Amino acid sequence: MTNLKELQESFQRGILAGDDTVLAEIKDSAKEQRRVLFGVYRYAYVARLAEILGDDYEQVHAYLGDAGFAKLTKAYIAANPSDQRNARWFGRHLPTFLRTTTTYAKHPELAELAALEKALADAFDGPDAECLTLDSLAGLAPEDWPRLVLEPHPTVIRLSFTSNAAEIWSALKDETAPPKAARLPEPQAIVVWRQDLMARFRPIGAEEAMMWNEAAKGVRFGVLCEMVATFAGEDEAGLRAASYLKSWIDMEMLAGCRLED
Amino acid sequence: MSTERPDKPPFLGFGLGLRPQHYSEILDGDPEIDWFEVISDNYMIPGGQPLRMLDRIRERYPVVMHGVSLSIASTAPLDMDYLQSLKALAERVQPKWISDHLCWTGVHGVNLHDLLPIPYTKEALDHVVDRISQVQDFLGRRLTIENVSSYVSFGQSEMTEWEFVTEVAERADCWLLFDVNNVYVSAFNHGFSAQDFLNGVPRDRVVQFHVAGHSHEESHIIDTHDHPVCDEVWDLYRHTVKHFGPVSTMIERDDNIPPLAELVEELNHARAIASEILGLPHVAAAE
Repeated sequence: MTNLKELQESFQRGILAGDDTVLAEIKDSAKEQRRVLFGVYRYAYVARLAEILGDDYEQVHAYLGDAGFAKLTKAYIAANPSDQRNARWFGRHLPTFLRTTTTYAKHPELAELAALEKALADAFDGPDAECLTLDSLAGLAPEDWPRLVLEPHPTVIRLSFTSNAAEIWSALKDETAPPKAARLPEPQAIVVWRQDLMARFRPIGAEEAMMWNEAAKGVRFGVLCEMVATFAGEDEAGLRAASYLKSWIDMEMLAGCRLED
Repeated sequence: MSTERPDKPPFLGFGLGLRPQHYSEILDGDPEIDWFEVISDNYMIPGGQPLRMLDRIRERYPVVMHGVSLSIASTAPLDMDYLQSLKALAERVQPKWISDHLCWTGVHGVNLHDLLPIPYTKEALDHVVDRISQVQDFLGRRLTIENVSSYVSFGQSEMTEWEFVTEVAERADCWLLFDVNNVYVSAFNHGFSAQDFLNGVPRDRVVQFHVAGHSHEESHIIDTHDHPVCDEVWDLYRHTVKHFGPVSTMIERDDNIPPLAELVEELNHARAIASEILGLPHVAAAE
């Protein structure tokens, strides 16, 4: 008799690879043949995972349409059997899949659209942390500001797009016709984060992106101001840096700060 | 009446599965719901709004945790990361009990995200009892195990499903979640009597009922949880209440989720049936 381990292996192969060996272990019912009954599990496997991908990537679905998305989910499911207990993480490889699979790689906006949706989902249920407040900086002595080091909130994700995927996402979200896919003359910096428990994103300018990237590496505020001055001119560089900092605090993009010796 | 086990969890009344679509209605209103069941896996995440909503609902209602990925009958090793995460969630939620299904979900590191059937053999029984004991030791509490809907049966089975379930409960010393719809579905699919199943399960082990809808495919029924509860399942629920007495009951809807009011109406139907049979004018939550 097939032992439990062998039976489960055979059952799983039957679902994943269409192998019929397991049918020898299964009985016909009074009303139906075993192949049809086992087919319920085969169908449910693909249908459930396709539904999970559809929920996680609503705008990729909207962009490709039902038939295109069904083709994509079929290919993704075949290439990525779920190795996670929690279905929440099943679709996490989709941006990479779209970027590296020949059929889709020709359309970079697809991988970027998926990367944006994944980042929004990751920010939505990412780790909790305190948010830095303006009040906590109010008492900072002027001589301490240069040695201030900022700590990004753990839900902040930085992306860089070569296509107009962000614009496509916004149009699809508003249920309007998306613009034609286009390659951007310069890469577009995007920041994704969570504010008031909602995931958000916005394109940011090159200067703010530079300052954020450096701040996230632990570079002191004094040095950040110098970098901003070098980037786009000394005129009001300190003011520009302070203005970015204030907007990050207002948007709950920072978890805390410390003074470095 | 059978003697109740002194350590049996309390009768909570009539509850619903907590679904994100209903968060605001629940928190802003005062719906007639005694308790909530949450899908554990949906809250085994780092943070954010879902956990915040769960905390707020937990402040007002008793909660039980219901998982779909424990894979208790799998021959793959227990997933200690999953168990650790489940334990951490239980510490946060302080549920009345933790349930999952009598099934497996995958082997060799693959998860098929389905509640897969097992053969009712002595080998499978020993395996499942051992696994439940290990999980209970790790969690420091009893598990509640639910019968699943199944579409196939195995030639090698040596006992009925209810004999298997009973042996599991007695030997592993766990609680049972009696899913009325799953009994109806499996009885139809495999041609056994739902009443035999009902009579075969130990009354003092059953701490919760699920009532749900399904999809009828003529030669078989699929447990889809996307329809209102049908008359046949309500009839079986009637027999179930007669047999088991007052047991925490919930309507389980996972797809085509209607407005909360519709589910409360279904829940009130369950409440009315139980009140009529048990002569309870009102069933209060036990917290």
